[in-house]
Amino acid sequence: MDFLLNTADGLLAGAAYALLAVGFALVFGIFGRLNLAFGATIMAGVYAGAFAHAHFGAGPVGAGLAVLAVSVLVGLYVERLCFAPFAAGAGVTAMVSSFAVWMQIEEAAMLALPDHTQPFPALWGDASMVIGGEAVRLDRLMPGIAAAVVVAGLWALLYRARFGLVLRAVAEEPAAARIIGAPVERLSSAIFALASAVGGLAGFLIAAADQQATPMLGMWAMTKGLTATMLGGLGSLPGAVAGGLVLGVLEAHLQWHLGPQARDLIVYLVLFAAIALRPQGLFGWGRPANDDGGARPGRG
Amino acid sequence: MIAMRSTAALAVLSLGLALLSAQAAERMVAAIACIPAGARLAYDCTVELVRGPGGPPIVEAEVELGADMPSMPMAHAVRPVRAVPAGSPGVYRARLVLEMHGEWAVKVTLARPFRDQDIVMLRFETDAVTSR
Amino acid sequence: MDPFLVSVLTHAGVLGFIALSAYVVLQAGVFSLGQQAFFAIGAYAAGIATALWGWTLAPGLALGALGGAAAAFLVGLPTLRLKGLHFAVATFAFAEATRLVFEMARYRVLIDGMPVGPDGSDGFRGIRYIFENDIGPVQFLALIWGLLGIILVGLLRFERSPVGIALRMTGLDAGLAAQQGVGVAACRLGAVTLGGALAGLGGGLYAHMATYVEPAMFGPMMGIHALAYGLIGGLGTPFGPLFGVLFDVGLLESTRLFHGYRMIVFGGLVALLLIVRPRGVLDEAAVRWLGHQWRKAGAMFR
Repeated sequence: MDFLLNTADGLLAGAAYALLAVGFALVFGIFGRLNLAFGATIMAGVYAGAFAHAHFGAGPVGAGLAVLAVSVLVGLYVERLCFAPFAAGAGVTAMVSSFAVWMQIEEAAMLALPDHTQPFPALWGDASMVIGGEAVRLDRLMPGIAAAVVVAGLWALLYRARFGLVLRAVAEEPAAARIIGAPVERLSSAIFALASAVGGLAGFLIAAADQQATPMLGMWAMTKGLTATMLGGLGSLPGAVAGGLVLGVLEAHLQWHLGPQARDLIVYLVLFAAIALRPQGLFGWGRPANDDGGARPGRG
Repeated sequence: MIAMRSTAALAVLSLGLALLSAQAAERMVAAIACIPAGARLAYDCTVELVRGPGGPPIVEAEVELGADMPSMPMAHAVRPVRAVPAGSPGVYRARLVLEMHGEWAVKVTLARPFRDQDIVMLRFETDAVTSR
Repeated sequence: MDPFLVSVLTHAGVLGFIALSAYVVLQAGVFSLGQQAFFAIGAYAAGIATALWGWTLAPGLALGALGGAAAAFLVGLPTLRLKGLHFAVATFAFAEATRLVFEMARYRVLIDGMPVGPDGSDGFRGIRYIFENDIGPVQFLALIWGLLGIILVGLLRFERSPVGIALRMTGLDAGLAAQQGVGVAACRLGAVTLGGALAGLGGGLYAHMATYVEPAMFGPMMGIHALAYGLIGGLGTPFGPLFGVLFDVGLLESTRLFHGYRMIVFGGLVALLLIVRPRGVLDEAAVRWLGHQWRKAGAMFR
């Protein structure tokens, strides 16, 4: 019974990780670059929500809108400053630039709200639903449902809509896409905006469940998103979702049996082993190991 | 090339010094208490210096207080300030102005009567300072 | 010499080691987000050697370098076939695992009636070798930069040697290098191990400079910084990462005016710099230009 409960708990936590991983996967899958400012972008959005709550008395809806708006704006800023200026092949340079901007964003957020924790409005408070005889907190259940909806929507967008076809064409053959007149710069911004919105949503759900926001959110989101993406297979959207869920379940079981420190240690060891032994992801959906996807220092 | 050869020679000399066996020396132990000082991110810190654990107070000391953030060494390092005697023997006082709240490693550096250094971990918040 | 300047230059020197360690790995065509693990291992090993076992400094530092090299070798072996982000995240995972081990490890010994040694999350205090042996700040500074000088000369020689050229070849185009008969795996493993040794040595020096280390210091921030120094300073020469460290530290210190806004200014400046010079200030083109100017100047004096 414990096993089932932990698994269920893990799946719900994993849904949030899945959303974070999808945000990563969108940028990496399409540009082959690691956005180190992704976590900070989400943190900025969440802090904007907390700010709205603290200074304008915004409730969950107002805070949520602030989170989405600011996440998207910051994401566009990062895209323009750290990614757009670099030609293909300058992936590591773009990554280092995004690291510098990560520090910028974190400091700006902490200037706006200097205390160690900020209250964040709850979405569902302590309300819970009874499923299968167990009371499940809504703020744990809803991220799972939200993740499912978002992923379904993204899949429809990328694989069913014409817009998604153009996006994927730009990703795979940017030079050819330019020749046929696809607006590569605008699409690049659109992808970042989308990834930031997804990440912002994840951040909002997490902050609303915890009812607080802390400065560690940026690093935490990065770590979970990256781990989930690599477990599920780099560059694959279904992989990102699967990776997130696997991570959630793994963490839940490990924490139950061994406590939080051992949990984190074992997760990292598992991640190392997974990448070394199965670089294309646990399910084989990701890019193979010998494809560095343009992640090299620029040839300036 | 010459510059490199001479720095290398200097390094070898220092390494030579490093190979000399250790001599037991005096030891300083520091205890610190800080309170918010009114201005934002400013704290008044009182440090008590003794010779060795439970030993006599160190009087007429030349001591400086600095601070650094363990999670990001040097990025927010606070320039050391000289601590002035605060009345009781072995007790000195200094004002620290930090760059942000959170955990800081406060560095107590003694120059006189002997050289030593001790670190005290403290958590600085808007309203209070607690030990970690 | 102003004591604060001495401490800043000392810290910059120590950072030079981890910057060079990331640079050496970059030569092999991959980027590591985990050099901080080898730095940490070096710091703890050297600290334990001098503070708990009574070793002198040189053997302690050597132990640190050896520990870093051994760990790097163990990381490099299973990751030989990985590239790009796969390699980077694998190194990141190892580094975080290492940090967590240090958060949980305790090894304390009673010295002069006081417990000394690593104490998990509370860190490792009391690495007082330079104080106990009256090594002044300027002497320690000279030691650090002297060692860096020796390593720089070594790396410059190495990069001109057949092995060094082979390494750069595997970094730029592994397929082509393999066709030319270069042992790509050996080059990669060698580069990673050398990087680990450099980071371990730097870590040992850092532990003695700061007299205190704790696991939180060795997080991803340090590793990403290590990479950034090379990217900013330039990847065309080993001087590049060192220049990057000095530039970074100098920029950081000069933005003190922007008390409270430092990272905002600093982060923005770095991002702008990278747009203008994507391969760092001292990239291959700049190094060639500098070399050309040097030869022209030399010709004038003949």
